[in-house]
Amino acid sequence: MSDEPKSCSTRSNAEPTAARSHLPMWILVLMLALLYLGGIYFDRHSGWFDKQVYSPYANAAELESYQPKSGAAALLAQSKKTYEFVCGVCHGTDGLGKPGQFPPLAGSEWVNAKDYKRLAQIPLEGLGGTVHVKGQEWNASMAAMGAGLSDADLAAVLTYVRSSWGNQAGAVAADDVKLVRATVAGKPAINGEPQLKTIPE
Amino acid sequence: MKNGFVIFLAAFAVLASSWGAFVLAPQLQLGGAKQVSVLNSSDVYPLNRPGEANQGLRIYRANGCAACHTEQVQQAGFACDVVLTAAGKNPTVISNLISTLKLRGLNEREAEAAANKITTAGGKVETHIVATGPDISRGWGLRHSVAEDFLYDSPVQLGSIRVGPDLADVGARLPDMNWQLLHLYAPQNVVKDSAMPPFRYLFETKKIGDAPSRDALNLPKEFAPAAGYEVVPKAEAKQLVAYLLSLHTDVPLYDAPFTPPQVSTNAPANKQ
Repeated sequence: MSDEPKSCSTRSNAEPTAARSHLPMWILVLMLALLYLGGIYFDRHSGWFDKQVYSPYANAAELESYQPKSGAAALLAQSKKTYEFVCGVCHGTDGLGKPGQFPPLAGSEWVNAKDYKRLAQIPLEGLGGTVHVKGQEWNASMAAMGAGLSDADLAAVLTYVRSSWGNQAGAVAADDVKLVRATVAGKPAINGEPQLKTIPE
Repeated sequence: MKNGFVIFLAAFAVLASSWGAFVLAPQLQLGGAKQVSVLNSSDVYPLNRPGEANQGLRIYRANGCAACHTEQVQQAGFACDVVLTAAGKNPTVISNLISTLKLRGLNEREAEAAANKITTAGGKVETHIVATGPDISRGWGLRHSVAEDFLYDSPVQLGSIRVGPDLADVGARLPDMNWQLLHLYAPQNVVKDSAMPPFRYLFETKKIGDAPSRDALNLPKEFAPAAGYEVVPKAEAKQLVAYLLSLHTDVPLYDAPFTPPQVSTNAPANKQ
């Protein structure tokens, strides 16, 4: 046992150091591939952090393309806007008119008439003199407010008036308004209830 | 510690970025959420709850309803249905054309193409947008939940487990107050095989006085109290039902468009 232990004390006390090597190529490729897939996933599912875009919709453009554009609801909303802009100032957005000044449309016997011809003629031609609405006498003059609207717009507004606030008369078609417009062309405003009643209902 | 400052900085960066992503960003995005207007209408959504329903939210929370019920409807997809509204002058041409076309479950472009074909043949169509998915087909709602649905909920009762059905739209689905009260008192009375426990402590069984109470539940024999007694809902039960009936998500919004199943022109009559 003469062999002295080899002097390894210096080696074992030394601070270990990590070997360095190059990043393997496959890790780099894998990372890039994952980044690419992540990008695709982000594009499809993030909605680009738009607060209005929820899960089944991919982005704001797709959400916009699925907004209902046609149909009864859209038409009703449009005619409501037209009514409020053109007619609502006097007849009220609630169709109740203004006491003593402008007659109501809600529950009015002229509005709820079976046919639309008399009603359609009022906004196309204007109305002066006295009329009776819901048992009250009204003396106001109305200009031809509807003459500037297109056939489709006026028909939609008339339909809105005839089906809102408890009114339950039938719809008015654009072609019907066109026929009435042709008969009133160039005529002066209707003069009071007697003349209004001569118009076929 | 040799790199203490670096470790501190790294930990700070990690916590700060997660705080930014999970607290700050949502706050910036939805913290200022307001009422929005209902699609194709001048109505706003949501309306604040009446006080009784706000009290009911506390009862809902106190009884742990959210342990078995969610209030979030999910939507898997959406589709367009092309609906014929008028056949026009050539009904036979239109019906022949329609039999060759696919009109349900289309995407937006297909729907437009189909609608164009029918309109050029003289018919009139409407395009309806419908939400699809398991939750929707169960009747739990007409669209997915959006942030505005929870504008007046504090705390929000989202829930995560569905032992019972989703309640996001329950006020529109089951609007009958008496049904709700009966269901709380004896769930199996109105929904056979229901797994819901009865919440009888929200009710009072008392002796009938001179005349039966107006509020007394109309119970069948197996759930009814002894003769001469009646079951009357306590204020808590009424509040809870008021809250349940206030859960309405049946309006189309910009973030969740759909075509309502029935369009009424006398809209104010439907308001609650």
